[in-house]
Amino acid sequence: MRRLLTGNGAAAWGVRLAGAEYIPAFPITPQTEIIETISRWIGDGEFDARMVTMDSEHSMITAAGTAAATGVRVFSATSSQGLLYAMEMLYTVAGWRAPFVLVNVSRALSSPITLEPDHNDVLAARDSGFLQIHCATCQEVVDCLLLAYRLGEDERVRLPVIVNLDGYYLSFTREPVELPEEEVVRRFLPACDLQTAPIRAGDPVSQGVAVLGGSQYSYFRYETHAADRNGLTVFKEITREFARLTGRSYPAVEEYRAEDADIVFFMIGSFSTKAKAAIDCMRAEGQRVGLVRPRLLRPFPDEDIVKALQGKKGVAVLDQNISFGKGGILYAELASALYNADGRPEVLVSFIGGLGGRDISREEFFEMAKVTTRAAESGQIPAPRMLYTREELAQMHGLQAIAAAEMNTREEK
Amino acid sequence: MKQESHTKNQLIPTSHLLGSGTAACSGCGALADIKLFYEILGEKTIFVNAAGCMTLLTVYPFTPFRGSWIYTAMASAPAGAQGVRDALDLLLQKGRIQPEEDLQVVVLTGDGSANGMGLSATSGAMERGLDFIYICYDNEGYGNTGHQFSAATPHGAATATSKGISGYQGYKKDLFAIWAAHKPSYLATVAGADPLDMARKIKKAKDLSGPRMFIAQAPCPTGWHFDPSLTVAIGKMAIQTGVWPLKEYENGTVTHTRLPKPQGKRPLVEEYLKMQGRFSHLFAPERNDKLLAEIQNRVDAYWQNL
Amino acid sequence: MLRIRFHGRGGQGMKTASRILGSAFFLAGYEVQDAPRYGAERRGAPMFAYVRADKEIIYERGIISRPDLVVVADDSLLSLPVAGVAAGITPHSLLLIHSNHSPEDLQKKLALPCSILVLTAVPAGISCAAAASQLLGISWQIFKQAMEMELAALSEQQLTENKLAARNAYEQMAATNQQVVEQEEPDYSSANPPHWIELPFEDATISAPAIHGTATSLHMDTGSWRTLRPVINQERCSRCGLCHTYCPDGAINNDENGYPRIDYTHCKGCLICLVQCPLHAIESVPEQSPSYSNQQEEKQCADS
Repeated sequence: MRRLLTGNGAAAWGVRLAGAEYIPAFPITPQTEIIETISRWIGDGEFDARMVTMDSEHSMITAAGTAAATGVRVFSATSSQGLLYAMEMLYTVAGWRAPFVLVNVSRALSSPITLEPDHNDVLAARDSGFLQIHCATCQEVVDCLLLAYRLGEDERVRLPVIVNLDGYYLSFTREPVELPEEEVVRRFLPACDLQTAPIRAGDPVSQGVAVLGGSQYSYFRYETHAADRNGLTVFKEITREFARLTGRSYPAVEEYRAEDADIVFFMIGSFSTKAKAAIDCMRAEGQRVGLVRPRLLRPFPDEDIVKALQGKKGVAVLDQNISFGKGGILYAELASALYNADGRPEVLVSFIGGLGGRDISREEFFEMAKVTTRAAESGQIPAPRMLYTREELAQMHGLQAIAAAEMNTREEK
Repeated sequence: MKQESHTKNQLIPTSHLLGSGTAACSGCGALADIKLFYEILGEKTIFVNAAGCMTLLTVYPFTPFRGSWIYTAMASAPAGAQGVRDALDLLLQKGRIQPEEDLQVVVLTGDGSANGMGLSATSGAMERGLDFIYICYDNEGYGNTGHQFSAATPHGAATATSKGISGYQGYKKDLFAIWAAHKPSYLATVAGADPLDMARKIKKAKDLSGPRMFIAQAPCPTGWHFDPSLTVAIGKMAIQTGVWPLKEYENGTVTHTRLPKPQGKRPLVEEYLKMQGRFSHLFAPERNDKLLAEIQNRVDAYWQNL
Repeated sequence: MLRIRFHGRGGQGMKTASRILGSAFFLAGYEVQDAPRYGAERRGAPMFAYVRADKEIIYERGIISRPDLVVVADDSLLSLPVAGVAAGITPHSLLLIHSNHSPEDLQKKLALPCSILVLTAVPAGISCAAAASQLLGISWQIFKQAMEMELAALSEQQLTENKLAARNAYEQMAATNQQVVEQEEPDYSSANPPHWIELPFEDATISAPAIHGTATSLHMDTGSWRTLRPVINQERCSRCGLCHTYCPDGAINNDENGYPRIDYTHCKGCLICLVQCPLHAIESVPEQSPSYSNQQEEKQCADS
């Protein structure tokens, strides 16, 4: 049955269908609607789970990790500053190899403080050991939650997973969503199996202990990496199974009209559907343009990406993030994946846009395609481009004048 | 005929449940405290540890525990306890574990974590009425990093970050009062130097539920600068001079479980201070009478105001 | 390049010794690198420090794997594999041990390919620094200057005492006519390659830093931290149990008759038991390289 759900609503449904048992929580915009929804269901007796509001996200992830290590199915959610506040524990609990699912509703980071999205929050968790699935639609949100539990709990992986959705563009946006039938879900994702991770009397364990020396440390850290990489195989298997059960297919790398494209956009998240709209428009006028979107960002699906980009003339990499002093994070990741690849694209052009929820217009997609085409033809790679217009700067200067005027007034007093 | 003195200590089990061979310093007061807690609480426990000296109780592949242990981070051990307790409750409720597989959840942190960055998580756990035991081993400084001052460092003590002639300028935070304000089920100060008092309090707490909080005096040879053989002697002197009150809180009432002798009859605080290098600047090269008097007066005032 | 490794226990002054040597080389016009290395363990636990000195700029860093000189503050460390005293010793290395045993005895016991020198001057720390300086050809004048720099916090009297001890050690070594020799490093073409492997994925139940055993700390021989050994006079013991209760390390157990027995494998030698024993039934005796002398006794028994 299709129904209209916000991204947050879809996330809550995913949690409910997955049969999460324990939910340590802490409110933060734009994620809060998820835990409010779950709390209402629990209150109404519709959803049998225990939710505990902690004193911070740091505490929340700690409780999530210890509960997962004790052997229950755990869910938690956060955004932005909350994810950063929890950062120490993200790295720590991943090392416990106790799987659970964390939804991050992307919101740009302070300073300046804002509520609107970009991906610097979730990318700050890139190296934590959490696997990352990035959603582009509300449908994907609910389905990816189920995939995330299967993925993280698989004995070849045994790591926590972040499911990311963009604030506002998904979190507060309603779209038709097909909720999987409960019995289909149970077949795909059986109830939590205690045997995999018990802490209980009679089976003592000392978890997360210190090591002395780099050799032991290297072993444990590399094993986490190896488990993370296993996620590629597991994701392939479980998405195939999910497609059989639901008809919805979620390859690690989504390709849209990319097969015969000369120029492709490479990006993650919900703005990728805006790219699709622009691509359709360009295709209508004979432009061979497409989209390649990693859904799985950790583990990084290098092989699938290399294959999808093989023989392309140019790739427009659109980063909704900025690594100060370097530039786009995806750009660097993609370049490293392609460097040794046969038939790699001729040019990679870097664009940074959509920071703090700034919109990206259709004309801007057209222009990115044109710039990339020109670069491919001329072999001249333009400097990384921040999507920002003359009109915006003029507006900014207007605001600065007001800000300064206010200061001058104060000085006059 | 010797049997009588042999049984004098019978309150204290003698199983040595906590394994020897830990990396704790020779003469560690905190380890002595934990040893006694462990003997009484038993192996059906999970210790949830914050960053501190006791992080290094377990170093792969060595653990002194016969039950479970989990290391969290400096700020969030009580939150870790919440996750374990809630998960165990869910498993019990759903019949996925048997009641005999249940564990007592015990938080173990130093005074740095308890008074500082862990206070928020502790407050949260108490306000939620979490069923757990919290042991703060109080060695009055950030011991594991070389003994810098913490919010639990006493006034005037020299630490790695308060080396001037007056020592630490702040005053030991009243963690007992802060915790008591949360109205936990049970709260007590204990000292390894008085094992009978300590054992009685642990046994009492063991049979209660809800938040059960302990502040355990932990003389630190390394950080307080005294010979390791004097750990217990210094602990005793702290009790006799009135520096370390032994007390408990239950149902809104604070009771002192040991009273030092009245003022004038009990030893001066300086008898305690003299035993430790961290206070040596109060006595040499010149005696700091003003500061000594201030410290003495604060201790006397505490007992007068009871 | 000269590479020197100091082995001692936390609190024996080997970090200071390494720094004095480092400063001495520095004053003598060398490029220098010195650093201590501690494990997680504390006062009394094995530690080491190292010094590199060269006329050229030093690019090497970290642990010294092929030492020219190894200085050991305490012969009880020799039998502790974890102390790593013997690591990387070659026939060119010189091993200087602060000990009451003869070099011949130590040589027989250790069966190392290098020459062994014994130093008896006390205290160990400053004596080791002075002895090493002599073996490395550093003049007394420069050594003294380095020592004054590094021990600036000491009182006049303490400094004089240290100087005296240092002079003894310095002269004791001069009498040996031994000098440290710089070793050749393996060259590029004849070096053995590392045995790198493809690290396999292993199940999370074993590849997470979790310990499934109980009380595995009993494997740790913390008895080796001890410099003084508590000995119970069972005649005087009233079985009050206080030593047993107060021992932080759980290293005193009651036997079947209720008498306390010290577990010397784990006793760290804090001597709280000695101070707290109401009947003064516990005394302390200096630890003569416990494991080492035990082994010797065993050997003597076997020989006879």
